Order: sequence, then structure tokens, then C-alpha cells
Amino acid sequence: MTQATKTGLSRRTLLTGAAAGVAASAFPAPMIWAQNIKDITLRQFGTGVSNLNEVAQKVKEELGFTLEMTALDSDAVTQRAATQPKSFDIADIEYWICKKIWPTGNLQAMDTSKIANYDKIVGIFRSGKLTPESTIAQGTAPHSVGFTSGPGGKDFVAEESGWMTLIPTIYNADTLGIRPDLIGRPIESWTELLNPEFKGKASILDISSIGIMDAAMVCEAMGEIAYGDKGNMTREEIDKTMAIFTEAKKAGQFRAFWKTFDESVNLMASGEVVIQSMWSPAITAVKSRGIPCVYQPLKEGYRSWGGGIGLSANLSGLALDAAYEYINWYLSGWVGGFLMRQGYYSAVPETSKDFMSENEWGYWFEGKPATDTITNPQGQPMAQAGDVRDGGSFHDRMGAVACWNAVMDENQYMVRKWNEFIAA
Amino acid sequence: MDRRRPRSFYPLAAFFALFLLFLYGPTLTIAILSFQGPTGGLTFPMRGVSLHWFHDLFQQQAVGDIWGSFRRSFALGLMVMVTTVVVSVMGGLAFRKRFAGSGVLFYLVVTALVIPSILISLGVGLIFNQTGLDVHWSTSGFGAQLTWTLPFGLLIMFAVFNRFDKSYEEAARDLGASPWQTIAHVVLPIIAPSLIGVALFGFTLSYDEFARTLLTAGSRNTLPLEIYGMTTNVTTPVIFALGTLTTLFSFLVIGVFLTTVWALNRRRARAGSDAGKGMV
Amino acid sequence: MAALLKNRHLTGWLLASPLAAVLAFFLVLPILMIVVVSFWGATEFSIYPAFQFDNYHFLLTSPVTLQVFLNTFKYALVTWALTLGIGFTVAYFLAFHVRSQTWQIALFLLCTIPFWTSNIIRMISWIPFLGRNGLANSTLISWEVIDEPLEWLLFSDFSVILAFVHLYTLFMVVPIFNTMMRIDRSLIEAANDAGATGFQILTNVIIPLCKPGIMIGSIFVVTLVMGDFITVRFMSGSQSANVGRLISNDIALLQYPSAAATAVILLVTVLMVIGTLLRFVDIRKEL
Repeated sequence: MTQATKTGLSRRTLLTGAAAGVAASAFPAPMIWAQNIKDITLRQFGTGVSNLNEVAQKVKEELGFTLEMTALDSDAVTQRAATQPKSFDIADIEYWICKKIWPTGNLQAMDTSKIANYDKIVGIFRSGKLTPESTIAQGTAPHSVGFTSGPGGKDFVAEESGWMTLIPTIYNADTLGIRPDLIGRPIESWTELLNPEFKGKASILDISSIGIMDAAMVCEAMGEIAYGDKGNMTREEIDKTMAIFTEAKKAGQFRAFWKTFDESVNLMASGEVVIQSMWSPAITAVKSRGIPCVYQPLKEGYRSWGGGIGLSANLSGLALDAAYEYINWYLSGWVGGFLMRQGYYSAVPETSKDFMSENEWGYWFEGKPATDTITNPQGQPMAQAGDVRDGGSFHDRMGAVACWNAVMDENQYMVRKWNEFIAA
Repeated sequence: MDRRRPRSFYPLAAFFALFLLFLYGPTLTIAILSFQGPTGGLTFPMRGVSLHWFHDLFQQQAVGDIWGSFRRSFALGLMVMVTTVVVSVMGGLAFRKRFAGSGVLFYLVVTALVIPSILISLGVGLIFNQTGLDVHWSTSGFGAQLTWTLPFGLLIMFAVFNRFDKSYEEAARDLGASPWQTIAHVVLPIIAPSLIGVALFGFTLSYDEFARTLLTAGSRNTLPLEIYGMTTNVTTPVIFALGTLTTLFSFLVIGVFLTTVWALNRRRARAGSDAGKGMV
Repeated sequence: MAALLKNRHLTGWLLASPLAAVLAFFLVLPILMIVVVSFWGATEFSIYPAFQFDNYHFLLTSPVTLQVFLNTFKYALVTWALTLGIGFTVAYFLAFHVRSQTWQIALFLLCTIPFWTSNIIRMISWIPFLGRNGLANSTLISWEVIDEPLEWLLFSDFSVILAFVHLYTLFMVVPIFNTMMRIDRSLIEAANDAGATGFQILTNVIIPLCKPGIMIGSIFVVTLVMGDFITVRFMSGSQSANVGRLISNDIALLQYPSAAATAVILLVTVLMVIGTLLRFVDIRKEL
């Protein structure tokens, strides 16, 4: 609907040709498969976060088939997944979106026995626990909507049933982004977003289901509201939260609201805003321009999110085989390394390790000081030797999640209230 | 009227100059910013000077497909242009005489002109959705844009026919021409230069159309939708480079149209007729 | 056959049929569809046929609706007044103070050229100009006019209206210029000879004769501003709302029925405003 684009790659590579040749000598049957798969085009859509043309190009090189990418914003993604099931083969969506989409039957359950690296997927997406001792955070935790009862199931089941709704691919822990040079003092709590000190220099994102969570983190930290479950608020909790934020808006606290992460980059880089809800790649983008920007860990913890790949119910036969092939390739490490270099986490970190240098792995995953310059996938410097990632290691960050992005029972009410807040 | 300029000329001329500055200022701002160095952002101050972003425009972007959307917009613009010219001329001819229901049809044209674009987008999108048709720029998008270009085309045709000297037609008829011959050999050649105006409107209104195409273009973007996407997705001056290039392209299109008008008028001047002059 | 062709109703409809078909399918049907859907219900991801007044009920009881409609009228009114003032002055200068026809055409074209480039690009190009560290603020600070950057330049009502005026003044200039060029110059000579001052000529001769052009321009500007949703989003930094944004927000969240209900009310409002304006002018005669 908004940003929709496609990449078609038609380059036939030596690699696939060679692979087909090898396969032909060893197994006669897969040869037909390898020949035909080149003609397959899979249409994937999702948010700009992971729908990157580089991935499509790599797929063409390594797997031989064509992946058409369409990047949209979160609302448009939900809309397309729910209403235009014929328009895609692979949906790259977030878990809270999955909670909305799965009951429509537009996606099909995936057989975990066909997923080579299933056993290596981190606990968050299977049992819900990062380590056996972890507690599960509030909100729509990925494992709670990650499994269904069987092929054709439209329900969610709590245990690992062998049938997954989405194959997890990417996730992160979000917090507030700040401009340390323009603030000049330590920031420790979510309450700072509404601190009058930053009047006219704060921003929050205008995607209701995520924005409300950031708002709830702030209100809870202020001690104004004690939530039963931030991921599933009651009408009174929604009303109170929006009242606090509407008051702040009318007092001129916010400079602007943003809808896609790149808008947040522009707001931050131009100095229009000094503290705001922000996503990891946005921080990276600001920093790569040489502007100081910190993804500030806060004492109340992180708001976390996860995304995964779902298969359209219309997929079958060779195209379905190709899709499984794609999923297995996705989890085999290259994409993971590519995403981790932008500050996200891979669902199977250990495979990504092979595709990252020791320095990169240490910096991004283990929270160690960089031993050399850290660059983003485009080669721009992100951090210098000695720098440490904001928030530390994978376990420090993902272990301090206070809440997952969520869809509430009162979602429609919340959306209307959010719209009123934006319009107020 | 070769008197001295009235005193009011000077403040008015100054006002006009300010107006032009206001009109062109932002375009110049982004033209300047599009020449930023490789580390430049979307805002001042400039970080170096280079052609980096124009070069970048021709590389693959992280997301999106600028040139594909440009080709689609260009094709759609041509489709809309041809349809607008044909349908407006027919409509203009029809409206020269009153016919049953012409009043209603006219009010529909006015409604098409004033209805908020997003309503067309929403309505057409809903119809295609509910009937299970796929929205596509060349079907639903095409139709939705016509509701915007046709009223313009028709209004221009009204203006043309309001000034049209009917004695040419009468002369043709007196000489025994059939109604069809009259239109083909007399009316159409006389109004031809204004048709270029209609074509120019048809093309550029379609080429820049955004709101009516938003929900009706389907999964492949037109250029304005792509630009809209880029405003939320792109953080580099590449979008300004694109803006500068599209502005230049618009100039080129206008240039081509104006040259055509000029050439037609010269031919006409040589042929000694001045009917229909000055209506572009 | 010849007799049939002589029937003006038949030939009229034959010639107008493509126009009528396009309008029927892409204007009338969509409007009907919107009206129908405005009574439907919605779940989070789908819509279902129903006949209920929930959407209207929510719309008409929400305190925000009135505020948003008032905001829409405010933008329309202020933009209309500014574009009228600027547009009339510019057209007046071109029509009566520029004497050579070549210059008239050249200057007129100069005004229209920006109109042919992307609206969105013209809109967002204000952002680096007006920002906290933008050209306007840094220039003013370097001239020592102000000490602190002016915050209200961007992401405010000011920037929204500025962008509207920038985008739409031309829609005022063209029709007014068009009617001015058709004013018989001997009328002005006559008024002059009768001893009228320049100002009297302006108010008693030119303005009344320009009324149709002013009306047509007003129709364009008012409908464009009232139906806009994108300028307000960009230039207010998503902080202000007009009716168009209300609709587009609902669309983005798949709440089509509630978007349709808002659309119906917006359409009725716009048609009422235009209907009033049309009472003052016969568009077909005045072109």
C-alpha cells in the first residue's frame, strides 16, 4: 500500500549450475528439482527491517530461485497478510502481527522436522525462556504464538508441538535513543521521555501497538499506573495511559511522531529530537554519520520484539519445497550475520558466528570491547576499537526484557484511543 | 497604452519577485542538498560537495525499485494521456448540445473534480477487494486517475468550444460534408493545439498523482508512491537527487510539449489560419 | 441512420458514453460502496456486511471529531484567504502591469513550472529549510535577528499552512489570470476617463468582473485543502490532524467501515461548501 517495491533477479549463477551438476551425478531425482527450482519465484513481503535486496540477491546466487521483495510499514504488512493472501508466498512478519493473522488461515503450519537447525533456535522462541531460570516477560511472547496444533491448525498451543506458525528470524530489545551530546547527563529511566526538560525535543512512534507499550513503560516507571499486564491492558489502563500522554502532547512535549525507523533517524540526526523511542538500526544509521547517539539501557528494562517467516497457505509442491529450502538457508548463518552486524539478533546465533569475524561476534553478541573498527554491512564505521555495545551482551540485553510487543484483547478500543491521542 | 508605469508597478513587481522566490526556494534547497558529500544527511549543514547521490540513484537501493516505478509511471501517464484526450474531445463535442441527462453528467464531472482524492482511492480499493479483483496500477489505478484527469480535460474542451467559431462548420456543411467529415477535417484540425494542452495536463496530472493511486496501485509502486515510500524509508540525500532529477524530467516534458505547440503554430501560420490560437 | 444521427440526445449520449462509463464505474460506484461500507462492521483484520450505526455513533460522540473538523476548516479558511490574496495580486500584476504579451506568457509559465513537479518532493523540501538547524533559523541567527532557533517554524500549524499556500496558490492564479485577460480594456479606459482612481477601478470594475475566476480558484483550493491528508502528516510531524488523516489512519489500521463513515461526512461537507460556491458562478459559461 505505501512502500511497495520489487526486486527481480534474473542472474543465473555458476554456483547453481555446479550444484545441479553434482546433484545429477549423485541423485537422479533432485536433478529435476534443481533444474526446475530456478524457474520458481517466491514473493516475500515485510517491513523494511529485513526485506533487503541484498538477501534476495544472495538467495539467487546460493539457491538459484528468485525472491521478490516488497517492503511496507507495519500497518500495511498486517493489512496485506490479512486481506490479500494471494499476493504473497512468504510473509516476513512480527509475532504480534502473527497473533492477528494466524486465525485467518492465510498462513500454513510448518513442520519443524524439516527445519535442520530447529534444535539450535534460542529458547525464547521455543520454551519462552532464554535460560531455564528466566522468567517470561509480559506481552505477546513469541513462543506463545509460535506453535499450532498441527497442519491446518488455526489455534495456538503452549508447548513445542512440532508445527510452527512462524520460523523465527530476527529479534531485538528496544529502548530509548538519546543524543548524549545534546543532553549532557546520564539517562537512566523511561520517565525521562516525559521530563519537561526535553519539552519540544521528545518523540514517540506512531504505530499504535508498539507506541502504547513505550507509553506504558513510561507511565509505569513514573509510578502513575500499576499495570496488571502491559501487554494486555484493561480499558481503564488504556484511558489513563492515553490521558497522561495527551496532556504531555498538549503541553508541547513532543516535536513530532514517527512511523518508520528512518523518520526517527532524520529527527535525531538533525537535532530536532534528543530523546525518543527508537529502533536499533536507526541508532546505527545516526552513528554512521558521525553523530553521537546512544541506545540507552534503562533500569526498568527493555521492550522487545521478534519477527519470523510465515508461509502462505497457497504454497504447495515445488514452491513449498523451495520455501523450506529458503528457511533452512535463512537459519544457516549468512543472513544472521548480516542482520547481527546491524544490531539485531539471529534466531540461531551459533550458525551466524561462522559468518562474523571474532571482533564482530565479540562486539555485537558477547558485549566485549571492540578490538578493531566495527563497520556496518555497507562498510561504514560504526564503532572504534575499545567501544562497547550499548547494553552489553546478548544475555544482558535479552535477559532484561520487561515486555514484548503485543496485541491486546482490547486492541480495537486501544487503536481508537491512540488515534484520538494523535488527533488531539 | 504606452504611458508611464504607474507607481503601483514597483511594489507589485517586488511582490511578484518574492512570490517566485517562495515558489522556487524549496526546489532550490533540495537541488543544493542533493549535491552533498557521501556522508551527508537530509538537512543542513552540507557535508562536502559531490555527485555521489546522483550516482547512488543508479545503484540498487537497500529497499525499493526506483526505475521500475518510473517506467510504470511513464507508461501509466501515456495511457491516461491518450484516454483523456480521446474521452475529453468526445465529451466536449457531446456537451455542445443539450441532451437528456447532460446536466446530471455535468454535475458528476464537477463532483469528480472536487471529491477528496482519498475517497476515490478508498472506494475503488473497496470495490476491487470485495469483488475479489486484484488492484493493479494499470486497471484500478488507471481508472482512479481518470476521475482526476477527465474533468480537467473536459473543462479545457469547454473553454475551447466556447471560443469556437461555428461558421467554419456551417461552411463545411454547406459544401456537403457529412457530420463525420466536418469533425474529422474541420473541427479536429482547428482544436488540435488545445489538444496538446489536454495531453500535457493528462500526462502530468497522472505522472504526479498520489492520493488516488495510493490504495489502487497494488503491489507495484508508481513513482509518486515510491517517493512517498522513500520519504519514510530513506535517510540519505538520494531522495533529493531523485527530486532534482524528476524536476528536470518534468521540465523536459513541458519543453517537448511547448516545442510541439510552437511548431504546430508556425505551420498553421504558414498555412494562413489563426483559428484556435492561444489556447494551450 | 441519418435521422438517428440527427437526434441530439442519441448522438450526445454516444459521444459522452466513455465519459459516463468512467464516471459511473470509478466515481459513482465507489461513492455508493463507501456509503454501504460505512454501515458495516469490522474485526481487527476484516470487514463484514452489517447494518449498524456504530461507526457513526463513535464518530459523532468522540470529542476529537469536532476538533478535527474545526481544524480542517481552519486550514481551509486560512489557506483560502492567503492564496486568494497572493493569487489575486500576482494575477493582477501579470494581467495589468506587464504590457508585452511575450513577457506575460513567459512570467506566467515561470509561475506554473513548479506545479509540474512532485507535490511530495516540494513539500518535504521545506523541512531542511525550516528545521531547528535549518536554513531559515541559521540565517536569522547569523543576522542576529534572533538568539534561539524558532521552534514554531517546523512541525506546526505554521508549516502546514505554509506548505498548503506553496502548493496551491497556483490554482488561484490561473483562473483569476484567465478572467482578467478577458476583461475588456476599454472598460478600464472608460472608468479612467470618468475620473476613477486606480483603487476605485480595482474595487468597482476589476474585482466584480473577476468574481468567476475567484470562485473557480476558491473551489480548487478549498477542496484540495479539505481533502488533504499527506501535507498535514508531513508538515505537522504527525502531530496535527485533519479529516483526511483521520480517514487515512483508519485505512492503515484496516478499519474500513469507520474510515468510510468519516469519508461520507467529509464528502457531504465538501459538497455543501462547493454547492454554496457554485451558486455564485456558472463554471461552463465562464471558461
